[in-house]
This record gives sequence, C-alpha cells and structure tokens, in this order.
Amino acid sequence: MKKHKTKLLAAACVGALLLAGCGKKEEVLSLFCWTEYVPQAVIDKFTEETGIRVAVENYTSNEEMLAKLLAGGGSYDLIQPSEYTVEALIKDGQLQELDHEKIPNLKNLAPEFRNLSFDPGNKYSVPWMAGFVGIVYNSEVVPGPIVGYRDVFTDAHKGRIVVLDDAREIVSWGLATAGIPINDVSDQNLATITPLLKDWLSKVKVFDSDSPKTALSNGDVDLGVVWSGEAAILFNENPKFQWVLPAEGFHMFVDNLAIPKTARHKELAEKFMNFILRPDISRMISADFPYYNPNAAARELLTEAERNNPASYPPGLDVTKAQLFSDIGEQGSKVDELITTIKVQ
Amino acid sequence: MAVPTAAAVLAPGPSLQRRAGLGPWLAVAPMMGWLLLFVIVPTLMLVVISFCERDSLGRVIYSFNFENYIRAFDWKWLKILGISVWYAFLTTVICLVLGYPVAYFIGRSSERVRGLLIMLVMIPFWTSFLIRTYAWISILSQEGLLNAALMGLKLTAAPIGFMYTPFAVVLGLVYNFLPFMILPIYTSVEKLDGSLIEAAYDLGARPARVFAQVVLPLTQPGIAAGILLVFVPAIAMFAITTLMGGGSNPTIGEVIHNQFTKARNQPFGAALGVLLLAIFIFSLWLSQRMRREEPE
Amino acid sequence: MAMTDALSPVPSARRWWLPQGPAVQRAFFGTWTVGVFVFLYIPILLLVVYSFNDSKLNLTWVGFTTKWYGALFQNEVLLRAFKNSLIVAGATTALSVFLGTTAAWLLYRYKFPAQQLIGLLIFIPMVMPEVLMGTSLLVLFVTLGIPLGYGTLIAAHTTFCFPFVLVGVQARLQGLDPSLEEAAQDLGATPLKAFWLVIVPYLMPAIVAGALMAFTLSFDEYIVTVFTSGAESQTLPLKVYGMVRVGLNPQLNALSTLFIGITALLVIGSQIFTRKKTV
Repeated sequence: MKKHKTKLLAAACVGALLLAGCGKKEEVLSLFCWTEYVPQAVIDKFTEETGIRVAVENYTSNEEMLAKLLAGGGSYDLIQPSEYTVEALIKDGQLQELDHEKIPNLKNLAPEFRNLSFDPGNKYSVPWMAGFVGIVYNSEVVPGPIVGYRDVFTDAHKGRIVVLDDAREIVSWGLATAGIPINDVSDQNLATITPLLKDWLSKVKVFDSDSPKTALSNGDVDLGVVWSGEAAILFNENPKFQWVLPAEGFHMFVDNLAIPKTARHKELAEKFMNFILRPDISRMISADFPYYNPNAAARELLTEAERNNPASYPPGLDVTKAQLFSDIGEQGSKVDELITTIKVQ
Repeated sequence: MAVPTAAAVLAPGPSLQRRAGLGPWLAVAPMMGWLLLFVIVPTLMLVVISFCERDSLGRVIYSFNFENYIRAFDWKWLKILGISVWYAFLTTVICLVLGYPVAYFIGRSSERVRGLLIMLVMIPFWTSFLIRTYAWISILSQEGLLNAALMGLKLTAAPIGFMYTPFAVVLGLVYNFLPFMILPIYTSVEKLDGSLIEAAYDLGARPARVFAQVVLPLTQPGIAAGILLVFVPAIAMFAITTLMGGGSNPTIGEVIHNQFTKARNQPFGAALGVLLLAIFIFSLWLSQRMRREEPE
Repeated sequence: MAMTDALSPVPSARRWWLPQGPAVQRAFFGTWTVGVFVFLYIPILLLVVYSFNDSKLNLTWVGFTTKWYGALFQNEVLLRAFKNSLIVAGATTALSVFLGTTAAWLLYRYKFPAQQLIGLLIFIPMVMPEVLMGTSLLVLFVTLGIPLGYGTLIAAHTTFCFPFVLVGVQARLQGLDPSLEEAAQDLGATPLKAFWLVIVPYLMPAIVAGALMAFTLSFDEYIVTVFTSGAESQTLPLKVYGMVRVGLNPQLNALSTLFIGITALLVIGSQIFTRKKTV
C-alpha cells in the first residue's frame, strides 16, 4: 500500500516537473545557435559553474535563424549571427546593447576584433569565431603555384573544382577579381562579372557549403574555394592539402553572440558571453573548431600543432586587410538568382 | 481492353457508396479538421504571401502585386522544374521495375516470413539520411570501395568518377524511395487470391501470361499507390541531388528552399510553391477525370 | 466475366525467353529479391563496419574498437535527441495511422460533399516542399500562440505522414468484397464494430506498411523539424546535420547499428515466439 503511494507521489512529481519545472526555480538560458557550433562540454561547464541550465535550439543558416526569430517562434536570450546579419539586426533595432561592465573578459579579445566595421566597439555583439574563405589544393596533383582565383578556374582544372554552394560568396570572388569592392553588388556590377562567373562555374564539379572537404578528401576533386575550417581539417588529415588566401583579396567571416531585443534573460546571456570569452573556455571551442580564434588570450593556450595549421592561422596574416561582408538586404535575392541562372544554363 | 476491365470488375463502382450519415460525419471530423487547420489554412497563407513583398530582413510586407508571379514565368524556373520532374520520373520507373518483383515475392511468401521480410525492407531507413548518403559517397567516390574493387579485379585501369553525376543522383533517389514503392505493392499482392492464379494455370496459361493478365491488373491499385508515393515526394526532393549530384543542377525543391534559407525572399518562394502545387493538383485532377471516363 | 475474357486464348508467338513454369518464375523473383536486399543493405553494412573502426575519419580501416559505443553512452545530448526522435516518430505514427486509416475507409465507403476536392487536398502535404510547409506551419503556430515543442512538431510531422498511410490503405481497399462488411452488419454489428472487427483486420498489412512509412519519414525529417521544434524537442536529424560540418562522428554509426540491430532482433524474436506458440 505504502509502496503504491510513493509511486503515485513520484508520478505526480514527474508530472509537475514536466509542467512547471517542479520545486525550486531554475534559471534557464535560451540559446539559439548554429547546430553543433557550441560544444556540449562548454555548455555543461557553464551549467556546472553557474547552476544555469541552457536550453539549446539549432539552425543551419543565418536566414533560417532570422525567419524563426522574427516570426516569434520562441523567446531567445542569445543568438549566434554572422557579421552581416549582426549589421542588419542592429540597423533594424533588433539587438540589445551590451553592458560591458558585465563582460570584463572582452579584454581577452585581440584588438582587431574590438572594433569591427559591423559593430564598432562591440556594442551589440561578441565575436565567437572567425574564419576565412580561401583556396585549398591537393599539392600532389596540382603543381601550383596557386596564388588567386584566376589560378583555380583554369581549363586545366575543369571538372576538378569544388566551391561553396553560396551565391553571395561566389559573387564576391568575381567582384574581387574584377577589382570591385565585394559588397558593391549593384545590378550593374553583377552584370559586369556575369561572363566571368559563367566561365568559372562551367568548370566547377561540386557545389557544397556544408562539407566541401568530402569531395577533396575522396579524390573526386583536386582543388577548391572553401571555408578555412574545412581546409584546416583536411590539412590535419593530410598535409598535401595546401591553403592559400587569394591574392585578389580575401574575405573573413565572423560569427558572434548577440542578445535579441525579445530576450527575457539579458543578464544570463551576458554571463554566458563573459564565460565563453574566458581563455580556457574559448580554447575548448578552438579544440572542436579549427577556425581563427578572435580571443588572443585563448590562442596562447593552443598547442603548437593547432597554431601551426596554416588554414586556421595563416602565416603572416594581417586581419585588418580582410574584407567583411556587409548586409545587402533585398539585393540578396538578385545575387541568388544570378548564380541559379548561371547554373541552369 | 482486358486489363482495365479485370480491375474494374473487382473494384466497386461509386454505386456501392452510401451517403454519409451523422456517424461517418463524426468519424471523419478529426481528419477534416486536421486538413483544414494544417493543410488548407497554411496553403491559403502561402497564397496570400505569394502576392506580398518583403523587407531587407526578409519579413513579409502585406501588399498586393503580381511581381512574384511575373518573375516566376521565366524559362529557367521551367527548366528547373523539368529537370526535377525528369529525375522523379526516372526514379519512379526504376523503383517500380526493381521493387515490383520484391513486393510480389514477399507478398506470396508464407504468412510467417512476410512480416519479417517487409520489416527488413524498411529497417535500413531507420538510420540517418545523411549517414546513409555519406556511406554511398564513400562507396562511389574516386578513392571509394567500388573503384577499389573494380581496379582490384583489373576491370578498369583508372578510377571512374561515379560521384557528382546524374547516375549518382538517380541511384541516391532510387535507394531512398524504393521502400515506398515496395510497401504499397506488397499490400496489394498480399491479398491476391491464390486460387485465381491456380485457376489461370489450370486453364493452361503460361506463367508470363498469368502474370501479365491476372496478377498485374489485380495489383494495379498497389502499383498506382506506389507510383504516387514515390513520384510526388521525389519532385520536391533536393538533399540527394545536391549531395550526390554536386549541386550544379538545381531542382525546384532546392530553388524554393533557397528563397527561405538564403535569399530572404519568402514571397517569391511562396509563389513558386503555389505554382508547383497548382500544376500538380491540375495534373492529378486531370488524371482522375480521365480515369473516371475510361470505363464508360 | 472479364476474368475469363482476359484468359481467353490469344494467339501469340512463343516467347522462349520468358521463364517457363511457376517454379522458374518463383526462383527468378527470389533471386531478384536477394539482389535488391543486397542493394538496400550495402551502405548499412558499411555503416556497421565503420562503427567498429578505430578512426574518426570514415574512409580507412584502422583497427577494431568499441570505443564509439562507450562514447555514445556518455553522450547524453545525442541520446536525448535520439529519444526525442523516437517519441516524435512514435506519436506521429499513431496519429497518422488513426487519421489515415479512418479517412481512407470513410472516403471509400461513404459519400461526402466535395469528395474529389478532399482527395486532392490530401496530396498537398506530399508535394509541398518541406521549407514551405515548415515556415507556414511556424507562422500558424505563432499566430495561434502555441509554443513550439513536441506538440507542434508532432502535428507538423503527422500532416505530411498521414497521406502516406491513407494512400496505402486506399490501395488495399480497392476491390474489397462488400459482402464482408455486410455480413458483419447482418449479424447485428454496428458500423463501428463491423469496421473494427472486419475491416481493420483485412486492412492490417496496409496499416502496418503505412505505419512503417510514417515512422521512417518522421524519424528522418529535418527541414520541417527546424522550423517547428522547440528547445526541448530537438531531434536526431538536427544533430546529424551539424556534425557533417566537422566530420560525421562514428558515434552516430554506433547508434544506428544498435537501433537497427535491436529492432531486427525484436522482429526476428517475435517471429520465433509466435511460431512456438502456434506449434
């Protein structure tokens, strides 16, 4: 009889747990991030140290995140937008200003990441990871030298090229080659580079943004224009995969953490930002993602091998020379249509 | 025409249907409610959005214009749709050829192993789509298992590029849709009356004729269902075409998907989707009409 | 009768290349089936082999290990996502079977106004690109003020899964002997009882097939899930998608191997069990 009662009680508690979070009030941080971009170890450590539970929801592109966020799909305390999305969100008044008092670890960021064009002075966002788009080639098959985009899209490499399946990226390579600023995507400039892109894309075998390393590592293509993180993984697998930042000009992406205006727990969000800016924590992120870590203090903690990976930390890099994407708003649709049109022809 | 009549005799005409009373109405209410709430309302919303504009963040601005439709009537979208339909068609035909004998064999097996075999058809798909696809990639790639085997057997001197070709796309599509052909055909075969087939043999018909003139017509509903379940979803499918085909031939599903996840242009994506639905519903309606007129 | 008409002797050239005799035919179908099963299981075999491979990169065999299984059992997030997938797919299957079977039967048996239209509407979720469905349902849920979670996810999945059940069951209903139901009703059974006792058993293979399809579709759905799931209802496909970028984790192979293995064992076990009972 007694046993029966405890069982009932347990059942009731489970029910209550499901309904109200049962018992003591637990603090929950709602994090809306790229899938698998925030290591579970980091989240666990945060919960362990602060007692704050993290509810994670995932997306796989900035636009997906925008769609769900702006539709009001959920109330998120923290989002993880890329640079041009941060710019667009600030412009629209969608982000909350950060209280720098609460984020003393901002000091760990390398100075060149404290004043980026999309958010000068980190008023609204904290850099998470940065990376580059560049050329990777299999040096056993491609003799080189490969210096820029022009060396990639040659007849010799026809059908042996992988590129990111990303219209904005492809267009920016064309613009850089034509000597046009990569954010200047006017109709006229798009028309100017169309013949060039037509020629280039006719030589491409694979379009893949998610895992361009697969085609390279399987030997189905010999070179390509990909994310630096992909190239870093390839380099770790086999040093025959060489990495080059295009001479025509190279593009850097910066993923960030930011607090949307609809956030309910701004303080928890800032706590999390401060947490991931700690050198030891930021180092954990680097261990999983071989990108360029904006956290100078965390870089000191990297192993020799990690720091010497030419794709993660290109030798002789001058970050201030890197070009960033700014938001192009409605014109994005034209850019997308241009690449689709070229593909279909 | 012997084939349609055989099926027509066994299928009940509309005359056997009774007018629905209160009971059937109550019973069908959940499904009707479901259709209304989750199919009709969202579809109408799409229709509305397809006439709207959007702002720089991709939010829908409620206005009314035909711009998205004007933009949609362009040869390139038609060509993309054509490619998608062509892939779906190829997939359906190959699935039917590959799948029918399997469904027949399983359906005619002893009752005890039937369930087991049909489960075995589906179980491979209780893994993640991406894992299965990457397994195929590791088989078909230049340094993959198939090339290793072919070169080991001295069948080819240099590795063959199977990946990122239409062949790889169709293989991926057929692989993932095959169970959806086998299962409905199986349920039609399973109810076949064995004595009918026996009788046909007793009349001296050869197996091939029995098959063509008795078995095929009787399993026609299953075949029709299988074709629907493969062809229709395959049109909008795009993950396989990008992963196995290399993404150089966009499909209609991908183009619509990109409007939402890349171009921030929901209204245009909605317009393309509405057109796809319209074309599809029109052809289905046409085929239903033709089928109804046929027996008369 | 049409049947005999179909079988009336038609002069035709002897086709020497066609299999002669039922036994040959059966052997041919059997071999064909084995071939198709090989095709279906090749990548699965590979997946299982790699789950024991001592390398994070899938391509080369390094050595035997069970460490991925060990790591899998430590990986709470992955297991929770798997559990979520099972819950969602299970509930979706149950709902789809209920909606699909009853609707197929009622639409077959009774006349409703606008029946043709309903028959067409059912196909919308099948042809609708997933992203359209995901976003439009998201807007619907937000407008209705329903928080995203299991409920919205299951509703969304059921919407594209139940037509599969319906189409499968409809195919089985074609050519149903009307006397079957009438006999039951003559014995005094209500239409509901007749449906439950006579029609459902007759439809069982189609219901099972429909359930299998619904489960599979829901278990593997990615795009609709992105838009309609909440933080507590993140499913396995969402995790897998993210892993591709850093390289697929062999833990996923281990998880798939276990799931397939256990399911297969259960199915074979139940076969043996029922066999013993009947003997």
